[in-house]
Amino acid sequence: MLSELTAPYRRLALVGLAKNTGKTVALATLLRELESEGRRVGVTSVGRDGEEHDVIDARIEKPSIQLSGGSLVATTDGLLRASGIPHELLEQTDVRTPLGRVLIARLRGPGAIEVAGPSAAEQVRTVSDAMLAHGAEQVLIDGAIDRRAASSPDVADGLVISTGAVLDTEIAEVVQMTSNAVELVRLPRAKEGAEALALNPRFPLTAEGEQIAELLDANPDARRLLVAGALPDRFLRALAHLTHCRRREIVLVVADPTKVFLGKRGPFWFAHQGVRLEAVHPIELAAITVNPVAPRSHTFDSRELRELLGQAIADVPIFDVLHPDYPGMRQPAARSASASDPA
Amino acid sequence: MREVDLTAVRPYADHLGDGLVQMSFTLPVPYSLAARKAALELAGRMGFEEPEVVHYEQLTDGYTYFVMYGRCVQSVDFEALQGEGFDIEYMSEDEIERFAEEHLHRKVVVVGASTGSDTHSVGIDAMLNLKGYHGHHGLEGYRSFETHNLGSQVPNSVLLAKAIEVGADAILVSQTVTQQNLHVHNLTELVEMVEAEGRRGDMILACGGPRVSNELAKELGYDAGFSKGTEPQHLATFIVRELAARVASSG
Repeated sequence: MLSELTAPYRRLALVGLAKNTGKTVALATLLRELESEGRRVGVTSVGRDGEEHDVIDARIEKPSIQLSGGSLVATTDGLLRASGIPHELLEQTDVRTPLGRVLIARLRGPGAIEVAGPSAAEQVRTVSDAMLAHGAEQVLIDGAIDRRAASSPDVADGLVISTGAVLDTEIAEVVQMTSNAVELVRLPRAKEGAEALALNPRFPLTAEGEQIAELLDANPDARRLLVAGALPDRFLRALAHLTHCRRREIVLVVADPTKVFLGKRGPFWFAHQGVRLEAVHPIELAAITVNPVAPRSHTFDSRELRELLGQAIADVPIFDVLHPDYPGMRQPAARSASASDPA
Repeated sequence: MREVDLTAVRPYADHLGDGLVQMSFTLPVPYSLAARKAALELAGRMGFEEPEVVHYEQLTDGYTYFVMYGRCVQSVDFEALQGEGFDIEYMSEDEIERFAEEHLHRKVVVVGASTGSDTHSVGIDAMLNLKGYHGHHGLEGYRSFETHNLGSQVPNSVLLAKAIEVGADAILVSQTVTQQNLHVHNLTELVEMVEAEGRRGDMILACGGPRVSNELAKELGYDAGFSKGTEPQHLATFIVRELAARVASSG
């Protein structure tokens, strides 16, 4: 079950590869499991969770977030008030969001609530630590859309990735894109103490092929390049073109996988072109959840999707938390059943 | 004067609460009495009571254009929505200049662009260029602002590099958000790159576009979202206030 696999991580990030990959359903499942185990959780979201309708396509209904009494939550003053749940205000933070100021509160009773915490990674870490200090045993950090920054090891200790049919109408494409994303998250750890040439700040943001070629020519023995900040796809592709033509091998070392911005091609493809990626701080991937349904579009067979993903991605448990196969699934309609389940 | 019931707000035309709505649409049917009937029936199905066609005409062969009235019986609880987000009182250009002089003691640097494959630069031009919008100067015309408009189809990495180079206080991006994931991805990617460069704390991120709401801005990771009807002084008010608040909270 998700709760067992993610138990070692005090700060757990949930990241979707796109909108409507079932991230919030995964969060709701995890919350239900943790509640039945009697674990006290803290919840925050880098976006907004538990809203009734999708922010871009209002025809899509979203799952609600049910928290048990005693849970901690970081959300805005307005949303906390709107939930109507009795609570104890623990902290008023300096964090201002487009939806209001973020508060940290302990709920005095169970209920449904919209969660909208800080967006910036550093502030996410601050409120997560605050909730742990106030007695949460585990903090769940929900992502938004396809944002990954909060899964950085600077913020979270572990990660659950949500993927699904919404990525593409072809199942093989969904598998390929997911496997690229997982490869990125699980970049090999950079060798410590190995000699590396530090790139100038902003060079990877702006350099065109010609400038990269000059750099390679000026440093004919350089094998490892150190990237301090963001590594965009444009730079990777330009570099890969050069290494491929010159039959040279370059290792790019980044701080962590959230600093790398890939387009269509994954780390495996770039390695074939002579550019290998390594991370000083890799990310601990605990599990993958899949949503075989693309809202208002197509649906794949859940088992087939999980099987194909399993063949492409080794050593990570893959779940469809709404499928009868899921170990935590007591009854198929668990999502709508709450009346029979006294809190 | 009658008091407005803020827990049940509905459209207003002749008197409070009458729910009157004017709408216009085109149907792909020939101009005829049957067309008029179709429009009435459609408005009824939309939930309008007492629908009325006040004008209709042939657009072209096989198409009819309608202007209609209808009574909307639905209402929204405005009271419950208040307190969500910033209730900003916007300043005028002069007030913004004075506020910036008093609280910031330096020029506010703003970099803006339409990013990715978006070719629309109208929104960003209206906010940043001297010409402005709706009779209001763009930020370029403010003494207290230094602006850099990079135009359209700018890669996120290039926009960010420029912002770092000029020490931007705020980045403004314009995107025509559609139901396709592409534009949304462009917007989130910029936020994530700013994070990856370790600059999220130093820069205000604002996005604008016809479908951008504060709710969407929050999900995307921006500090504010600006939609249709935004005038340059609205954006400027937000930026100077937010900068002043950041200066204050960093001691």
